[in-house]
Amino acid sequence: MSKSGRESYKDELAKLAFNNERIICIEADLGGKNHPFEQSHPNRFFNLGIAELASIDIAAGLAEAGFIPFFSTFASFAAVRAAESIKLAMGYMEKNIKIVAAYGGVSGGWFGTTHHCLEDIAIIQSFQNIRIACPHGELETRRVIQEAAESQEPYYIRLARNAVYDSLDRAEESSCKDILIEGAVFTNAKLCLISIGEEATELCKSIAQVNDSVVHAHLCYVDLASLKSYIGDLQQLSDTFLVVEEHRATGSSASNLALLMPECKVYSHDCGEKWPIYGGTHKDVLDYLGFGLEPLQQQIHLIGGTDGF
Amino acid sequence: MNNIDTVYEPIPHSEHLNNLVAITKEARKLIIDMAASETGCHIGGSLSVIDLLIGVYSKYVKDENTVIVLSKGHTAAALYATLYLYDLIEDNPAESYGEKGSLFTGHPNHKLPHIPFSTGSLGHGIPYAAGWALGQKIKNLDGLGIVLGGDGELQEGLCWETAQIIQAKAISNFIYIVDCNGGQNDGYVSDISPLHNLRQRFESFGFQVEEIDGHNMEQILAALELNHDKPLALLATTIKGKGVEAIEGNPDAHYAKIPERVASKWKRSLV
Repeated sequence: MSKSGRESYKDELAKLAFNNERIICIEADLGGKNHPFEQSHPNRFFNLGIAELASIDIAAGLAEAGFIPFFSTFASFAAVRAAESIKLAMGYMEKNIKIVAAYGGVSGGWFGTTHHCLEDIAIIQSFQNIRIACPHGELETRRVIQEAAESQEPYYIRLARNAVYDSLDRAEESSCKDILIEGAVFTNAKLCLISIGEEATELCKSIAQVNDSVVHAHLCYVDLASLKSYIGDLQQLSDTFLVVEEHRATGSSASNLALLMPECKVYSHDCGEKWPIYGGTHKDVLDYLGFGLEPLQQQIHLIGGTDGF
Repeated sequence: MNNIDTVYEPIPHSEHLNNLVAITKEARKLIIDMAASETGCHIGGSLSVIDLLIGVYSKYVKDENTVIVLSKGHTAAALYATLYLYDLIEDNPAESYGEKGSLFTGHPNHKLPHIPFSTGSLGHGIPYAAGWALGQKIKNLDGLGIVLGGDGELQEGLCWETAQIIQAKAISNFIYIVDCNGGQNDGYVSDISPLHNLRQRFESFGFQVEEIDGHNMEQILAALELNHDKPLALLATTIKGKGVEAIEGNPDAHYAKIPERVASKWKRSLV
């Protein structure tokens, strides 16, 4: 039975901590009961309560003392509420802190706008120096947690809520910083779909399975340094891209890729400009925002023009 | 290099005190010099906190398990002077403070040696020092997190958010020194957003609280020797602009840029 991204995170971190005494797990009252890390390593587990700014600054002090603190809360309370702590401790001072942000995008569904975060990647990206990862499914999430624990760099890892997906196949030795190209690798496709995050990747899988004219490239890391590293490979695939990302257009990976590939056409399938004011499931809220299979197919058709794809 | 003898060798108490007082006088001269730079500096608070800084560094400068954080980062001039006089930085900060290409920025710069955290946005230094202290506790070391903050800074919620955590996680290896100079950027703390019952507030967060004269080196050193099984809050009464009669106690001296001739006069008048 597969686990959701955030359950995978807790489980993987608890496992890693058996062999790495420097790992610390910090929660801000949103880790839930029976946390596997707390059960396995109670002396290195700290629920600091509802105090996100202080938690990140405390993590900075722990990092300076030689530890590898992982701090988890919801994306909105990390990237938006504690933005200044992240800017200073992680962006400017590059302290070795890992933020694991669940409830990315509108995965909180009926919880409402306070619990949604369609702005986090833009905010974190603007602080520089922070690795940003949006893993898809259990295996990729576990791999990203492993890579974060081994790295000296600050990390922002965006997860969703409780959805359970199987990650795309990835070679044992490959890093999550490598692009995953779904299906057979081919070049000069009419359109390259770029997926970022869980729902986007599921959408792009669906399209790629039925449309031979498009290639699907999945990006796990979307910080600026990672995006730059993809450019050569992406341009081998196509000169027309549609980036699918559960985020605002402002500060999106699409906008960054457009700046990095001025000679290419870069389109964005994103969550638009509306505030998600209604309840419903994750999918319901995405539908309201115009993010989903049908509007994506329409957008692909429009990009393809009269010839279509 | 500076001309002050280092003070952390074992020496008789009275001589040690005299030595420290001499260092504070040199530090005040450096702060005044930074106020006479092209940019000026936060002179009022720098002169109020300098005795506390010198006292803390004299005790902990060689303790690698203890971190000292100046959370009221706008008084960077005092920190730079302290680090210079303790040979922790090579260059005289007054020679390039605020200048193009200088790391001696108006708020502490972590690119300089012995400044682990760039403070200046108020409140952040307290949780950083608490995190360091928590790390020492996990490692079963006896290191401390020591933070020097301002009374105006206590208007930031982050300070109290951190005090809550310090109590909850029993981070007793923590010293919070509050430079109570009564002033802030726009005037008196008591006029803008007063901090009533400060002792009781800290006590309610589980701190042991001691009140000291923040310009009395003997009291400062004695307070740092206190055994405490709780986090320690030292409420240090100070005077903004202390040592320069022309600005002592004047909240308008929060920031100043002064001419060289005034700097010379102020330095000569230091007691």
